[in-house]
Amino acid sequence: MTFAAAYEDPPNVWGVGRVLVGDEIVPWAVSEADIDDETEVAAAFLRDLGLRADELVLIVSYLSQAVHVAPFERAAGVVGALYSSADASRFDAFRTASLVRQLKPTVVIGIDDAVLDGFDDLDLDPGEALATVNAVVASGTAAQARLSAAGVTAGFWLRLGALNAVAGPGESDLRYDATRWQVDEADGELLVTNLATRLTPSDRFRTGFRGHVPTPGRITL
Amino acid sequence: MPRADIERQRDEKLLGDLIPWAYQRSGLIRETWDAEGVTPDDVTSMADFHEKVPFIDKDAIRSYRDRHDDPYGGLLCLDPADPTMKGIFSAIFSTSGTTGDPTPAPFAGRGPSMLVREFWELGARPGDHFLHCLFTFRGPSIHDTIRGIGATPVFVDHQPSDIEQVLRFSREFRPTGWYTLSGPLIMMIEEAATRLGIDLQDAFSSYRGVVFAGEPIGPRARARVEEWGLELFIQTSLGDVGAATECREHDGCHMWEDTAYIESLDPEGTAAVGDGTRGELVSTTLIDKVAPLVRYRSDDLVRVTHEPCACGRTHGRVHTLGRKGDEIVVEGVSVLPGDVWGAVESIDETNGLFQLIRPAREVDTLRLRVGYATEGPGGLPALRARIEDAVNEAVGIRPEVDLVEREVLLRQGPPHKIPRVTKA
Repeated sequence: MTFAAAYEDPPNVWGVGRVLVGDEIVPWAVSEADIDDETEVAAAFLRDLGLRADELVLIVSYLSQAVHVAPFERAAGVVGALYSSADASRFDAFRTASLVRQLKPTVVIGIDDAVLDGFDDLDLDPGEALATVNAVVASGTAAQARLSAAGVTAGFWLRLGALNAVAGPGESDLRYDATRWQVDEADGELLVTNLATRLTPSDRFRTGFRGHVPTPGRITL
Repeated sequence: MPRADIERQRDEKLLGDLIPWAYQRSGLIRETWDAEGVTPDDVTSMADFHEKVPFIDKDAIRSYRDRHDDPYGGLLCLDPADPTMKGIFSAIFSTSGTTGDPTPAPFAGRGPSMLVREFWELGARPGDHFLHCLFTFRGPSIHDTIRGIGATPVFVDHQPSDIEQVLRFSREFRPTGWYTLSGPLIMMIEEAATRLGIDLQDAFSSYRGVVFAGEPIGPRARARVEEWGLELFIQTSLGDVGAATECREHDGCHMWEDTAYIESLDPEGTAAVGDGTRGELVSTTLIDKVAPLVRYRSDDLVRVTHEPCACGRTHGRVHTLGRKGDEIVVEGVSVLPGDVWGAVESIDETNGLFQLIRPAREVDTLRLRVGYATEGPGGLPALRARIEDAVNEAVGIRPEVDLVEREVLLRQGPPHKIPRVTKA
């Protein structure tokens, strides 16, 4: 294949990211179509969080989480909004704080325990650092609890296998799109199966998370 | 491309398009030019450009940002609320923030960047896997560029915590290209491989080229990487209007002159310096209409050459020497971090982790803070003496060395570099 042909015809595989099962890392390839399809779900969530056209969502994550994050990035565009990015690391917490101050995002997704440790290092109170943000979504139950202790009612983002499960601030259950995914329980562990076509199929994929599915589309941890 | 064509294209883009665009839309450019009484009508030739166009620098951008409460420092030329911009102006990324608040960088459009040329030069080809080892805040252009050459990105974090996945994915996916490697990552890979008993020559045998970026590389780190069988392609920033990367000749980083106009000027003045002479890199974009920099004094000290490269490219090359603001003058002798880098790095216990302490440009004593992993034979006093000897031999000045555990320094920087100069 020539350079020109490659340039005009990128491969079907969008990229190889990963999913976590407990401490185990499983490489995970996704397609362009996978990302596009998940973008629809992510856009609905961002709208529910109050993101509107011409506003901005700050996404705090790692590059290794790209297959879960890209739908949110594209969803910002679907909403007519912009997005910005910061690493979800202790060191890069200064960037999250700085971009919140400078860009005044409506929504911040992905504040995790490491970022909150970084806020501590900087003597930043999360409640003050995030005071201008309309909706904060944590990554990890520990971060959600710490934010709550700091007076920030945060939602929750869980990467459940290849699936993004999310809860808005004040919502007790995580939600997912039950037309695209099926979530089952086996001995208390959540299993994920794709209903819509995905490049890498999930067939009762063990997620390592324990929880309960009260009704399709809802998860209680 | 013949140089005459490069220069003709530059003139057309710069004089006919970029300058009027930036003046009309960029608050900072208009304010700066108006203060000098210059308008685009006054700039009809490159001679006019050199004589009349005023400079901007990072301080000017920060000043505009603070005075106007404008996170883009007066550079943004597009209105995010303009309906015709939907889908074009999509995101805001940011600089590393090593020297202060990260500067928001508006991003428009999608698709491969000019790095397609570099990735092809590395040897990556359609159907290959390509290790995408970076951060989130640089945006999607690297991903789009990897896909643009027909390769598939494999995502890993440029973080100490992800080193084992760098090694694992290298062995499982056999990538041919890697963007990017850095000094701290080299150190951590070396330690992880020892701990895990991994043969790095075997683990990295699929790579045809690796881009090294973030800060300069010292001879020890380079030798180590070459032992692993990796061919490094050094990349340097091109005054915040792009990047310049080595070709397989490894004799300077190619600056793509169809994307940027690069001047090398007297660091203390405005006169151009000749090819091969130390100067300050001053950059002007030819393609960025979102937040264009025009005559941006980068603070980077460089040597530029426009001599044809043995690789066949006619675009100029840049050799980065250091940053103007990092220079220390001791007893009349100029010292940059790069001048002592090899000397510190030659002492194994340091891994090349050091900072110059620069309370002022001119100082009486050269002071270094050096990180150590182990104390070595003779303990810290002997280690300090060996470092002082090595630096003295390199620059002719005996330094005062403050030894700290290396984690103290690693905590001060992002994962791909540490600040090499500090005030105290």
